[in-house]
Amino acid sequence: MAAARPVRVRRWMLLRRAASARLAPFGAVVMLVTLGVAVLAPLLAPYDPLKQELGNSLARPGRAHLLGTDNIGRDVLSRVIWGTRISLVAGFVSVAMATVAGSLLGLVAGYWGGRTDGLVMRLMDAVLSFPPLVLALALGAVLGADLTGVLIALGVVYTPTFARLMRGQVLTIKAREYVDAARGLGAPGWRIAWRHVLPNAATPIVVQASLSVAFAILAEASLSFLGLGIQPPEASWGSMINAGRGYLQQAPWIVFGPGAALFVTVLGLNFLGDAVRDALDPRSAS
Amino acid sequence: MGRFVLRRLIATIPVLLLVTAGVFALIHLTPGDPIDAMMAESVDATVKATLRRELGLDQPIPVQYVAWMGRLLQGDLGRSIRNREPVIENVGRRIRPSLQLAVFAMTIALLVAFPVGIVSAARRNTPVDGVGTTFALFGICMPNFLVALLLIFFFGVTLRWLPVSGYTDPFEEPLNGLRSLTLPAITLGLALAAVITRTLRSSLLEALAEDYVRTARAKGLSERMVLRRHALKNSLIPVVTLLGLQLGTLIGGAVITEYVFALPGVGRLVVDAVFARDYPLVQGVVLLIAIGFILSNLVVDLVYGWLDPRIRYR
Amino acid sequence: MASSEPDLSPRALSRRGFLQWCAVASGGLAPLVGGPRWVPAASAQPGSAPKKGGTLRVGFYIEAATMDPHLSGSKIDRQVYHNLYEPLVVLDVKLGVKPGLAESWQQPDPKTLVFKLRRGVKFHDGTDFNAEVAKFNFTRMKTEPKSVRKGEVANIESVDVVDAYTVKLNLRRPDAALLATLTDRAGMMVSPKVVQERGPDFERNAKGAGTGPFQFIEWVKDDHILLKRNDAYWNKDGGPYLDQIRYRPIPDDTVKLQSLQTGEIDVIDYIQPRDVAAAKADRSMVVVDVPSLASFGYMLNHTRPPFNNKALRQAVAYALDIEQIVKGVWLNVGVPSNGPIPPTSWAYDSTIPPVKRDLARARAKLAEGGQPSGFTFSITTNNIPINVQEAEVMQAQLAEAGITMKIKLVDSAALLTDGNNKNFDLINYQWSGRPDPDGNTFQFFKTAQGISLNWSGISNPRIDAILDKTREVSDRAERKKLYSELTRILHEELPEVFIVHPIEPKAFSPKVQGYEPIPDGMMRFKDVWLK
Repeated sequence: MAAARPVRVRRWMLLRRAASARLAPFGAVVMLVTLGVAVLAPLLAPYDPLKQELGNSLARPGRAHLLGTDNIGRDVLSRVIWGTRISLVAGFVSVAMATVAGSLLGLVAGYWGGRTDGLVMRLMDAVLSFPPLVLALALGAVLGADLTGVLIALGVVYTPTFARLMRGQVLTIKAREYVDAARGLGAPGWRIAWRHVLPNAATPIVVQASLSVAFAILAEASLSFLGLGIQPPEASWGSMINAGRGYLQQAPWIVFGPGAALFVTVLGLNFLGDAVRDALDPRSAS
Repeated sequence: MGRFVLRRLIATIPVLLLVTAGVFALIHLTPGDPIDAMMAESVDATVKATLRRELGLDQPIPVQYVAWMGRLLQGDLGRSIRNREPVIENVGRRIRPSLQLAVFAMTIALLVAFPVGIVSAARRNTPVDGVGTTFALFGICMPNFLVALLLIFFFGVTLRWLPVSGYTDPFEEPLNGLRSLTLPAITLGLALAAVITRTLRSSLLEALAEDYVRTARAKGLSERMVLRRHALKNSLIPVVTLLGLQLGTLIGGAVITEYVFALPGVGRLVVDAVFARDYPLVQGVVLLIAIGFILSNLVVDLVYGWLDPRIRYR
Repeated sequence: MASSEPDLSPRALSRRGFLQWCAVASGGLAPLVGGPRWVPAASAQPGSAPKKGGTLRVGFYIEAATMDPHLSGSKIDRQVYHNLYEPLVVLDVKLGVKPGLAESWQQPDPKTLVFKLRRGVKFHDGTDFNAEVAKFNFTRMKTEPKSVRKGEVANIESVDVVDAYTVKLNLRRPDAALLATLTDRAGMMVSPKVVQERGPDFERNAKGAGTGPFQFIEWVKDDHILLKRNDAYWNKDGGPYLDQIRYRPIPDDTVKLQSLQTGEIDVIDYIQPRDVAAAKADRSMVVVDVPSLASFGYMLNHTRPPFNNKALRQAVAYALDIEQIVKGVWLNVGVPSNGPIPPTSWAYDSTIPPVKRDLARARAKLAEGGQPSGFTFSITTNNIPINVQEAEVMQAQLAEAGITMKIKLVDSAALLTDGNNKNFDLINYQWSGRPDPDGNTFQFFKTAQGISLNWSGISNPRIDAILDKTREVSDRAERKKLYSELTRILHEELPEVFIVHPIEPKAFSPKVQGYEPIPDGMMRFKDVWLK
């Protein structure tokens, strides 16, 4: 296999790069815009997202309210703009937690092996074999139904994926010469793990993380359907869609705004994730 | 292979032990109480106390856990607090619709994913591929419940083609049964199709770049033959992995779909049980789902061996 | 709206409804919805001759819990029971008590209640209903370890069989509310033979157990409950007409309504306020506004800061605009509440207005309570859309008075536990209501030790005295006066801020005829027939 690599890799890279070339820019633009909106929310939102106007509820989209108003007369556009922050936090922070926790656990398991490995990985298997929504629901209820609860719940659900990935990488890398060399020079285990193993294993982790963010944003929406979500009156796209789902027939714009934002962002993140994977693919990077 | 299976089965024991401890701790830590939940409007403290005592809920948590484990080892999953029926009966009743839904959803997903994935890979970098890739992603860019509600609104309420809610067993009334499962299966199938299409496309692309494919091409085989004969089978491995993982998830995890379409499946059972704090039911169902998940993973590993002769089990 | 008469008349399209209609009609959805529908929903019309036959398909939000009325703790069970079983006495549309299995009753003294039972009534299993059976039932409710009725019949000291068709209930204390209690599960008579022979299986299988207009056929768990007409029903006046009733659980409100719209079911037990306007404009269904006995509000915890401080409780009450909440959140599917007693009750005092919003007064009370610049507390409420919305509106209103309210969302199991343990500042309480005002007051506001429904922990000697008195006096006018006094004290002491007495709109397929709405919300299908 090694002999065929140079030729194959080059062609492979070109192929991948070309494939992702058309969609990646779209993903990048979407993410830049979304991040911009999140940062600039106070400047962009035409109204106070919490300002209620009960006399003007369910107003249809128009000049005053571009995306209409919701069931208690709040401007949907402003809430979508502010909701960007919470949805992104839900996606990125929960995945960041899972990435850190999963990577550390995987690193420990893979590097030290033996009983540690067995214990950590059985634990991960146990988490993985829980029905994910039930796990998140129960965890969220234990931790309290607010954003922190959701973040931790999602973080826990995603952790095993990263742990498995990291462990697999570590096992591969551990067998390589430079790690042996370092060990031979008497470097302590944690330093070898930190200096040599971690950086090399980072690539697939980043790929996985970039795709997981999209799922996490969606999962936050699903959790709000089950009543586990952020603390009102703040809104995430998911909680807005959930609050508006009863109005699908009479006032579809309540769901349209956050739904479209969610859709485009998740689509963009997926394109971007694919592009990151293609660019960082270990086969093309090595 | 028998030894492989045996070893794997033994390895699941600690995992299942962790699952029992996890689910037990989690559900007992959740604020709320099954008796309060069941008798919301009852003032009578003595009735509640009697019930608690009868169910052993007045014991310390570790004692309750040991008691539960003791019964588990005798093969007794316990009884639901709410409807006082054995957990196994509750699950038995619910597993049918869940399995049917899962299989139907997978069928739909495969019917969509294979053509789209193959065409996307074969016509990579053409507009066809772009459309296919984007289409594939549609199913996972919207929350499940929104997809379900939109499908209901369109096919159920507006066009009146399919029933809005409810479940009919397709083995009893084939036509009505399939009709009752169609919308929920599409809801689940769309999301699944997205994931499968993507996996299939990238593994096909990978396979197409392999040496043996080049060899096959060099022999003058048509691109179609190359795809069908050589690339496809080898790119099935990741797809099978995915299906195995998803089957477990679909059976226990179609919570929202089952809820919206009023299907009496396992997912809704466990979530309703969480809301009712029906401890034995939550514990029992989660444990069964975990077992199902682990077994389906095992089956996946065995299918690997069949798909890829290079993989051998010691 | 605030009358005890159910509102059956087609409602003129309100301005709000009109705006919504415009929005939908000019939006992209118009072709899907099928264009404008101006025809007002037809009301259930009496007059045309009822005919026998057909299956009525009923959609409920949740599965029933048990078929045994003495062990039942869930509201949904009662919907089935009222067609399967019969209580000794029944409610009429105006919450009056009418003869049921008892032909008549009298009260020779305040501590004795004598029922003359109807003759010739048979259970579905063929056994006779008589005084011994009635005694068996009361004894069972009092002594069966799992009985959920114990509290309701606790005041019945003993039951004497006077003759084959007369029973005498000996009460511990005078109890003016008992008769109304016996219109529901506590008065429902089940066949002793079924109880004895079937044992615990009775909970799943009620074959033969009742005397009602319909009898039990099957309960396929998670799928449906099927009842069929009892052709031997004792009351030959009117129905039962339907061949069968089929109950089905559909958990999602929107989907349940859509199932009715598409003709998959014929009746739904409840429509969300948000859907009422659209449903009324929809020709495929008839909406009946059934005023309820319910009282929805928020309990304030008197046992810990900040609401052990009366002035701060009052500050919250004056800062809230109940009328706006009922209009904006409940969309007027309910009336602003002036206290625990609903407008459907004879004890309702329409001269007492709900607590009015008065920001100046709220600020004065804040100062009086030692928090002139406002304070912070948290509300514990259910994580379902309408409650979240209500909390958001309250939060905004309180903010205008400088009061910060944090929202803690929990599911109903956690809510009940928090309430029972007094682990809250302000907590949502939705009481489904009882026909006698006693059921909406006594257990909530009477001094109680330990765990009770008196979540606020209020203990006020004057309130206790009034509540005791209302049980002893049997004259309605006098009781009403006492309840009015109670309501005024509650406005001052504030164990609860009362928000709304909801209307529970039910929706029917236009072919369903003859439904008589009774404010307890139970759907009795004896006289219902299908066109």
